[in-house]
Amino acid sequence: MTKHLGVGIGGSSVAMILAVLAMIAVLAVPLLHSSYDENLSRSLLMYAAMSLGWNFIGGYTGYVSFGNVVFFGLGAYVAAVVSARGVPDVFVAIPLAAAVAALFAGLVGLPLLRLRGHYFGIATLAVALAVKELIENVDALGGGSGLAVHQSSVFITYFYAMWLVCAVCLLCTWLIARSKLGYAMVAIRENEEAAAALGIDPTRYKVFAWMISGAMTASAGATFAFANGNIDPATVFGIDYNIFPIAMVILGGIGTVAGPLLGAFLLTAFNEVLWGHFPALHNLFFGLAIVLIVFFVPRGVMSLFGLHGGRRGFIRYFQAYRV
Amino acid sequence: MSAEYLRIRNVGVRFGGLQALSDVSFDVARGSVVGLIGPNGSGKTTLMSVIAGALRPSSGSVEFKARSLTGIPTSKVSRLGIARTFQIVAPFANLSVRENVAVGAMFGRRRRTTSAAFASADELLEFVGLARVARKSASDLTIPDRKRLEVAKALALDPEVILLDEVMAGLNAVEVDEALELLHRIHDGGKTLIVVEHLMKAILSISQRVIVLAEGKKIAQGSPQAVIRDPEVIKAYLGVRYAKRQARTASSDRDFPV
Repeated sequence: MTKHLGVGIGGSSVAMILAVLAMIAVLAVPLLHSSYDENLSRSLLMYAAMSLGWNFIGGYTGYVSFGNVVFFGLGAYVAAVVSARGVPDVFVAIPLAAAVAALFAGLVGLPLLRLRGHYFGIATLAVALAVKELIENVDALGGGSGLAVHQSSVFITYFYAMWLVCAVCLLCTWLIARSKLGYAMVAIRENEEAAAALGIDPTRYKVFAWMISGAMTASAGATFAFANGNIDPATVFGIDYNIFPIAMVILGGIGTVAGPLLGAFLLTAFNEVLWGHFPALHNLFFGLAIVLIVFFVPRGVMSLFGLHGGRRGFIRYFQAYRV
Repeated sequence: MSAEYLRIRNVGVRFGGLQALSDVSFDVARGSVVGLIGPNGSGKTTLMSVIAGALRPSSGSVEFKARSLTGIPTSKVSRLGIARTFQIVAPFANLSVRENVAVGAMFGRRRRTTSAAFASADELLEFVGLARVARKSASDLTIPDRKRLEVAKALALDPEVILLDEVMAGLNAVEVDEALELLHRIHDGGKTLIVVEHLMKAILSISQRVIVLAEGKKIAQGSPQAVIRDPEVIKAYLGVRYAKRQARTASSDRDFPV
């Protein structure tokens, strides 16, 4: 029964092994006793979790969200509020943030996921901007200057918490991709009308996908808030946290299990190297790199491992929701 | 006789200023094969969409086993036992042929586990003759195979009724015979079929009853033999030459079974 990995679900097992090895390697980073390496690795893990989250809605379901940062921000604010209420525990904040984000995704998704293609993308962007504006104007949440997050654990806890969040996201992706939910999402991406004709209720599964997407992203946001010590709207609803995960999923392999994680690791590391060498112009080179990737490895590094999609997979992918 | 199975009641569909269907009614008996013919733009596919729940009629209703389907979404209609194929074939291009069929088996009338769905998909691929290409990507199939895949996906839902929208269009003579043979086998398995087809040979060979649409209205219904002699059908769809040719062959040698 395990032999039903076809062309569309899962992807290469080589990539999966690489991803697991990368996760194990990252777990050894604290042994280096270097706070720089710890911070960088936490950043890798954070982007990986966000990419895995975005992949559910943008990759598997084919609904490109330009507003997933809203979940990151919500997660961070849930963590800040929880810590201020005398529960400065990241492991309490994470499930709570995930639950709040899933609920929000469910409520907003019901109307938004009736839109298709670009319209959905624009609407999600609008939601992210609106929530940011809203929080900036709520004094109880610190307005534009944000909130402090009360840390009670030793700092390395937040590194392990981020590792755990990322590992759980990877495991969930692996499990869901092979499940009925995974097939429902892919069927919707490939042809929503045909999916409905096969008994799949598109709205229901699209909302599920976005709820998972939101929960994963918010978990990363909550952990980020604790590690950062303070948060403000401009940071946690920032453009970087919105766009980077999308670029990372595309680089790694859209709609695959391991691709987003590999893409996040590669791109975060690459960005760090650019920072080091071109402090002023790193964004220019980073943008250029993304353009080159889209041109030459459009199906992501997963395509280099063969087993995924096919030559024209990427073109088909975009045709799938151009309707 | 058929009153309690599938009834199409005064169905009308309006797209803005265009009346695509008006006041179409007919009954479909359990286990029968109904042919639906008519010129391009006469509303055949629109009617299929209404029955499948993909399109809400502006007026009238569809009843299946004494239950109104109006307002019930496609995904639920397909779980109630009415499956459809798409005229413009709609495979999940990035999934394998086997996965395409398994998705139907997972979410159809019997909600199967993934492993049970793949087992059922393998049986169906054998049945429709696609077992040899099961692992191929659905986008790599030839046209006749894509049509077969459409049929296999519909069958995967364990439907009682299958709406077949031009599954023979674009096939050559040999492929049409093969497709007809497949439809006969599906019918023999107890399914009710509604067949939209331009190919008169196919319609005459498989249908027990034929409904003729023209400009959104039902202009005739009856046995295939009666319908092809109906002057109004000849005028609106078949053409005088077809009628003459039929008359000639019918007097010497019948080219369709009764």
